[in-house]
Amino acid sequence: MDVIALTSPSRAYKLNASRIFPIPGGFMTNAASQNDEFDPVTLEIFWSRLISIADESAAALLRTSFSTIVRESNDFGTVLMDANGDSLSENTGGIPSFSGILPRTLKHFLARYPKETWKPGDCVITNDPWLATGHLPDITMAMPIFHGGTLVGFSGSIAHSPDIGGSLWSADCRELFEEGLRIPPSKFLIEGEPNALLEEIILSNVRLPDQVLGDLNAQVTANQVCGRRLNEFLDDSNLRDLSSLSRTLQQRAETAMRRAIDEVPDGVYHATLDADGFDEDETHIECTIRVNGSDLNIDYDGTSPQINRGLNTVMNYTYAYSAYPIKCALDPNTPRNEGSYRPVTVEAPEGCILNPRYPAPCNARQLTGHLLAGVIYRALAEAIPDRILADSGSAPSMRAVFNGLDPHGNRFSQILFASGGMGASAHKDGLPTTAFPTNSGAGSIEAFESVSPLIVWKKELRTDSGGAGQFRGGLGQECEIEVRSGEPLQLSLLSDRWWHPATGVLGGEDGATSRISFSDGTVPHQKSRTTIGPGMRLHMQYAGGGGYGDPKERDPALVRDDIKNGYISADAAKRDYDVS
Amino acid sequence: MNERIRIGVDVGGTFTDFVMVDEERDLIYTGKRLTTPDDPSAAILDGTARLLTEAGTDASKVHSIVHGTTLVTNTIIERDGAKIGLITTKGVRDTLEMGKEIRYDLYDLFLEAPPTLVPRHLRREVAERVAPDGEVLLAFDVDAFRKAARDLIETEKVEAIAVCFMHAYRNPDHERQAKAVLIEEFGAMPFTISSDVAPEIREFERTSTACANAYVQPRMQSYLKRLEAELRVAGHTGALYVMLSGGGITTVQSARDFPIRLIESGPAAGAMAASYYSTLTGSENLISFDMGGTTAKMCLIDGGQPDRKHDFEAGRVRRFQKGSGLPLKVSVVDMIEIGAGGGSLANIDSMGLLKVGPRSAGSAPGPVCYGLGGTDPAVTDADLYLGYLNPDYFLGGEMTLDMTTVEKAIEENIAKPLGLSTLDAAIGIHNIVNENMAAATRMHLAEKGRDPRRYQMIAFGGAGPVHAYGLAQILKLNRLVVPLGAGVTSALGFLVAAPAIDYVRSYVARLEQIDWSHLNILFEEMETEARALLVDAGARPEEITLTRTADMRHIGQGFEIAVPIPNKIMGAESLPGIREAFFTAYHGLFERTVRDVPIEAMSWRLAASAPVPDIKLDFSGQSSTETEALKGTRQVYFPETGFTACDVYDRYALRPDDAFTGPAVVEERESTTVIGPGGKVTVDSYRNLICDLP
Repeated sequence: MDVIALTSPSRAYKLNASRIFPIPGGFMTNAASQNDEFDPVTLEIFWSRLISIADESAAALLRTSFSTIVRESNDFGTVLMDANGDSLSENTGGIPSFSGILPRTLKHFLARYPKETWKPGDCVITNDPWLATGHLPDITMAMPIFHGGTLVGFSGSIAHSPDIGGSLWSADCRELFEEGLRIPPSKFLIEGEPNALLEEIILSNVRLPDQVLGDLNAQVTANQVCGRRLNEFLDDSNLRDLSSLSRTLQQRAETAMRRAIDEVPDGVYHATLDADGFDEDETHIECTIRVNGSDLNIDYDGTSPQINRGLNTVMNYTYAYSAYPIKCALDPNTPRNEGSYRPVTVEAPEGCILNPRYPAPCNARQLTGHLLAGVIYRALAEAIPDRILADSGSAPSMRAVFNGLDPHGNRFSQILFASGGMGASAHKDGLPTTAFPTNSGAGSIEAFESVSPLIVWKKELRTDSGGAGQFRGGLGQECEIEVRSGEPLQLSLLSDRWWHPATGVLGGEDGATSRISFSDGTVPHQKSRTTIGPGMRLHMQYAGGGGYGDPKERDPALVRDDIKNGYISADAAKRDYDVS
Repeated sequence: MNERIRIGVDVGGTFTDFVMVDEERDLIYTGKRLTTPDDPSAAILDGTARLLTEAGTDASKVHSIVHGTTLVTNTIIERDGAKIGLITTKGVRDTLEMGKEIRYDLYDLFLEAPPTLVPRHLRREVAERVAPDGEVLLAFDVDAFRKAARDLIETEKVEAIAVCFMHAYRNPDHERQAKAVLIEEFGAMPFTISSDVAPEIREFERTSTACANAYVQPRMQSYLKRLEAELRVAGHTGALYVMLSGGGITTVQSARDFPIRLIESGPAAGAMAASYYSTLTGSENLISFDMGGTTAKMCLIDGGQPDRKHDFEAGRVRRFQKGSGLPLKVSVVDMIEIGAGGGSLANIDSMGLLKVGPRSAGSAPGPVCYGLGGTDPAVTDADLYLGYLNPDYFLGGEMTLDMTTVEKAIEENIAKPLGLSTLDAAIGIHNIVNENMAAATRMHLAEKGRDPRRYQMIAFGGAGPVHAYGLAQILKLNRLVVPLGAGVTSALGFLVAAPAIDYVRSYVARLEQIDWSHLNILFEEMETEARALLVDAGARPEEITLTRTADMRHIGQGFEIAVPIPNKIMGAESLPGIREAFFTAYHGLFERTVRDVPIEAMSWRLAASAPVPDIKLDFSGQSSTETEALKGTRQVYFPETGFTACDVYDRYALRPDDAFTGPAVVEERESTTVIGPGGKVTVDSYRNLICDLP
């Protein structure tokens, strides 16, 4: 029997077969399930506490960060990891691509800086796409957490930097080197002191040094909060370290995920998806899913090769955007940690667009990565029809980035955040204008116009853009933006789905494609950097989501309601639903 | 002045609570009536009359009645408000439906979007456009507006109209023309203009606020009219005031125009009461903890004032999930509410872990111990099992609790499936609900950048004093205050609140590019309106306090922080001071200063208030006993000792300067205060329990 000494006679302790642990708040329980080191009460309390540690860390980051993208599109994450670098808890609202990747990045850090060399106050940084989250603007930072002189874990954070030098956010660079500064894993802080040279290198390579430094410090703050809270937790619980707790939590999460996969009939499922890609390089994705008992393998063999434009998606990102839709469909409620991801394996041949070789450009990797949820769900549609979504028009996200001078002569850079429609499901119509699988929101038009010389004349739902079906795809939207400046502005467009709509599923129809044009009738390249002159208007049509099930099965009352509200036209009702 | 009686009335979902203070005789009376949902004024009239009779006085002596109501919030939650139409700038009528385009739950593929208050076919557009600097880009098509309004009113038969035009917070001219049309042609039709109800930047939130206001307007207008008339018939000559969500009181007229500002009037009263106790007990920084049957509410009180914020989310589709409701631009007391109450049910999740809440047993069937058919154990059941509650003195003995069925329910439903003893299961339920509340409190503090160690706790609500000691232990707070009459503390807030109102105007500018004369005009307008309203609400002009703040941020940041600015005519010479005030406020929150990034202001606020009434708290009007305070002992569970013989005190027999040390339980009608071993309790001169934790 492994007994930990009682530290204070006034505290109460829980006894079970193998260990003694105190309970926070001092409450005592006496029994536990036989093969667990923690009883269900203690485990619930500890687990919730670890999640709130990640959440408090996220709150600190959100509160102090400058980046519009961090706030508006939720483009950040915080993760608490154990001494092995395995994830213990993630912030609740975290972007899926981030939380699953951080532990992998940390393992690269540990390969470079062995565990025993980390000192309190060290902070290691990188933005290497292959080691971290797939493009240069995302900064990953990790710090060690010591408790009573022992390394017990790591705090990590990822955030999209306000700037990283190189070209502005765009899809058309031919090499990684055009896309900005690459920081190899290196110490940003050494025992709490800034690494002055590294800081100077970073700040002399970016357009907004004060804001970039502000955000780097916000990440450090977030990591410190995480470390402090973990120490308080360890004090409260009298745990010496996290090893047994981490093992138990990972096991629980893994068991839950395995149980969910077990419910999917064994088999080999396959689907393909095509997207616009870049000019003649259309993107073709082959997705084979093998379900064997409680193991699920996703294989992208047969997918298009990497290209010399920024659509390449490194393996970490491919993994994250494959695991996320699986988690949503099969096991949405279990908190996530390393164990959640263990039963899901992903492979893609080296040199394909989902696993490119260095130094492939990858700045707009979301234009490829966001497509994976759609193809995965289509592959699984027959096997688990009530757990999946039709393809979403909001995947990949469509963005217009404006840069230039406002009438006061102030430099501005604004991204128009807006989304197409989500795919429908067996349960309901797709949500209109909602991002999936990412969760980037939309900002206020008034706020957007207040900080840029732009007027948004129209931002409204796009009639008939949702794919018909027993459940209709979510509507996309239509925006019209005028330049209200004496000078032309720079414009970078990141879009897809002009020729490849979000596909319907199980008899549902496709959603409407997207399109961008100028008021003079010209059509820009869908993934290009261009200029837009004074008085010109940009028209943006966002794609609708795919429909679910046979349109003839749709309740005619719902169709009539859709007509009344202008979600569909009378013509479309007649054509798609035979309702007038 | 002869009319020395003031009455506070809180119309809740189940009960209407009354507090009456007779300043002449320094007495406080409290009472309760079942709410009469069809006509809430019935219970108000009945309860008021009863209270006056008990106090041996009559309606003519009543100086004022302050009123709070859940009518607004329930209308939004039940979605049973008026049929309304919305008229917007051409091109943006769908703002209301598209919202922030965000999923409030990242992992739920089938989540339900909060339904909009105005279906798309009742949303109309008219040509007009104003730029962010107020310039008119497109003239207002008055005829189109008239036609749209007529169509909505005459053809669609809407009962109220909301109007929201782009940048109307900056230049309300077009909205004012629209308002003139509505008054002129459809005089009796309730309407809401966005620049009146929420003159703030961000069109989704402003539209949503205007629609929500219109949605509750018809019902609130007729209700307030009826209440005023009936009070007059009953002989009341005093004033009728209404509690705002921010804790100030206002006139009935203002409540008729902007009923949406009453949405949190009940919870605001609780926070005002807590603030009053903060001043009374000299506890500068308090966490106010109010735990009832279904929820727990936490709010921070600093310097005797509750934290306030200027946005609120109402009618959530998923009750405790941020982002699942309708955003409103109203000043509210900043509090968090979580699904943790006496009725919160214990359950086992799919991973075999014990969970508590957010599902609640409510009042029917209620916890198992009520014996009304509840079968799933609730927090109250665990509290009873552990000895914290007295089965024979629940609600002062009005209800007898059934221990045998409780033990069985905990054993069968929780203990056995989890492989725990019944005791451990009961401890687990109690402990987890405390941990949930602690986590929510910590998160609230973290989001505001506050240090928990600065705070003490005040507890009220039926279940608050039962759980406060454990919660304070987890949060490592060193002092706990439990006021007498914790079950009606909330209603007391109506009597300790002062006439107060917040005004706001959005005007976005970099500090060095501010048009000072424009800004001075904005403040002048706000000040004139505020003074007039507060005087109407009973304030003396010379005692009105005005405070100005601005919502400012570094360019590029999304978080605005409140910065105090000079309460005088401003000009370029004010700039250095304002900039320093920003750096100070920023440093206070984030512990750093970023000097080189330009600063911009988004909105400008004026808070106007009159002094808080000076009320002495003497509960001798309440029943009290001359008996010994120590009633006896019973077996109560404490983690430090296990079940132990614990002193039981009668709250009503405790007198100022009495002192004792835990373990102890203190019983009063609506609640029980639990004190752990080593907790040192003294009774202060207002008969509050002050407990210092070991």
